[in-house]
Amino acid sequence: MGFESAINEAVEGCFASLTLSFLETLTQTQTPTSLPFPTNSLSFPPPPIFHPLSSFIVTEKYQVAHSPQLSPCQAVLILPLPSLDKQFEEFCSKLEESGSLREKIRAVVLEIESTTRLMHSGLLLVHQSRPVPEVLEKAKAQIGVLQGFYNRLAEITRECPGQYYRYHGDWRSETQTVVSLLTFMHWLETGNLLMHSEAEEKLGLNSLEFGLDIEDYLIGVCFMSNEMPRYVVNQVTNGDYDCPRKVLKFLTDLHAAFRMLNLRNDFLRKKFDGMKYDLRRVEEVYYDVKIRGLTGTGDSNDANQGVVEGEEVYYDVKILG
Amino acid sequence: MLLTRLASSTVRRLFIMASKPNPHLLHQGAALQIPPKKARTMSRTSESSSSSSSSFKEAFGNYADYLNNLNEKRERVVKASRDITMNSKKVIFQVHRISKYNRDEVLDKAEKDLAAVTKQYMLKLVKELQGTDFWKLRRAYSPGVQEYVEAATFCKFCRTGTLLHLDEINATLLPLSEPSVEPLQINVLDYLLGLADLTGELMRLAIGRISDGELEYAKKICQFVRDIYRELTLIVPYIDDGSDMKIKIDTMLQSVVKIENGI
Repeated sequence: MGFESAINEAVEGCFASLTLSFLETLTQTQTPTSLPFPTNSLSFPPPPIFHPLSSFIVTEKYQVAHSPQLSPCQAVLILPLPSLDKQFEEFCSKLEESGSLREKIRAVVLEIESTTRLMHSGLLLVHQSRPVPEVLEKAKAQIGVLQGFYNRLAEITRECPGQYYRYHGDWRSETQTVVSLLTFMHWLETGNLLMHSEAEEKLGLNSLEFGLDIEDYLIGVCFMSNEMPRYVVNQVTNGDYDCPRKVLKFLTDLHAAFRMLNLRNDFLRKKFDGMKYDLRRVEEVYYDVKIRGLTGTGDSNDANQGVVEGEEVYYDVKILG
Repeated sequence: MLLTRLASSTVRRLFIMASKPNPHLLHQGAALQIPPKKARTMSRTSESSSSSSSSFKEAFGNYADYLNNLNEKRERVVKASRDITMNSKKVIFQVHRISKYNRDEVLDKAEKDLAAVTKQYMLKLVKELQGTDFWKLRRAYSPGVQEYVEAATFCKFCRTGTLLHLDEINATLLPLSEPSVEPLQINVLDYLLGLADLTGELMRLAIGRISDGELEYAKKICQFVRDIYRELTLIVPYIDDGSDMKIKIDTMLQSVVKIENGI
């Protein structure tokens, strides 16, 4: 009983793809290989799934008679199989599509990565105390380029709406790098933190379509804070003794803001813990500078003393750095 | 580590530089007692930046809300997924009790249990997942869904000898969602992963049937498993996040071999 109902089901399922004429040819053809439905080469002619006890199957819709040319098993098994294949063919084509989409995405992401590398190497010049505006100029020019790339990503994913997070892993770390660079640049320029919405704007993204993931943004900000200690040390080496105070204040506020977040034990949490150490190192530099009276409001009674102290700080800093 | 670094640098300085005015010794001593951290509250701000820190506060308040909601939802989804897994496994165990004589009653009970899983636990999942959640939280609910697919296909095979299709499964899930809302649809990847697990269960069933003497039935199972394996070997190269799948394919081949050896 089960077999007949199974055959019925399978036959009904195949009805759309098979025509009656095909069934007529079924009883007339010598070899099954001339049948017109698509199968993959491996599965045809397949060994029978079912061993019908009777030599022919009668169903309500079709009568596949026991024909001398075709074995009953072959007649029976032809019908259920296409439905098995068809489902998997659909899967194959869907997966192929998503695979090619992913390749397109990866190509764009590689370009994003090389742009960020360019920007980063340019920005590293601030550690060698090139004037900030000059360094920023070059990096800013790349922002437009990045906008273009993110637009392309938005276009590519527009084809499959709602699947931003399916492919999100492919651009996640590069985006975090981008955010860290942008926030660093923004801080160099204004001394303020670039907000999530501002970052989105700069990259030409909008949260309705292709947005900036908030966790990516936060992780990018943590990466930015990693740059701070080194920057402060080098600024002090070059005589900017006010820098530590500014950076300390900024980083303190930032750390306090992050403390408002309820983080669970994931990557973001690890990065946030790293920020604590950045803060501590900046505090130490600030402390060094302060006790040597080098900050603007410190004592300036002895210019010579100031020079000697300056050399010692330079030396200290060289050792520390 | 920090202290030893400071100490060693101080020692070096002492060694190289001749006369040390007090500040250095002071530094060495004082460094060991770094001034205690003042309370880091947003209210401790200096003159000019009160506006920036209050905007920090507001923005980070929003980020905090976002993260809290996300994490809570994720937890609820994980819990629902675990419930689905447990109960689907119960269905599978139930089906394994099949023998020559009690086939129908075992299957009836199994199908009833499966329907209960659908109505109770999949419903919870449906309620939680909306819009981008399907892909964002996939890692949270995927194991549960795979187990569910495994149970459902297992029942169907034991009942009819055919493979339950993805659209058929999804059709049973449609009534769970409100019509105005995007329905929960199992995606291809989870379906295929569940199918891979199914072959393991079928292997167990086949071995059981052989030891029970139902050789014919075991042969049918063998054939079915072979077909699934064949289909999946074609698809696997296209699965991009296929690390799970590759392991499962290997396991699947082992299952097929075990069945064949049993027969």
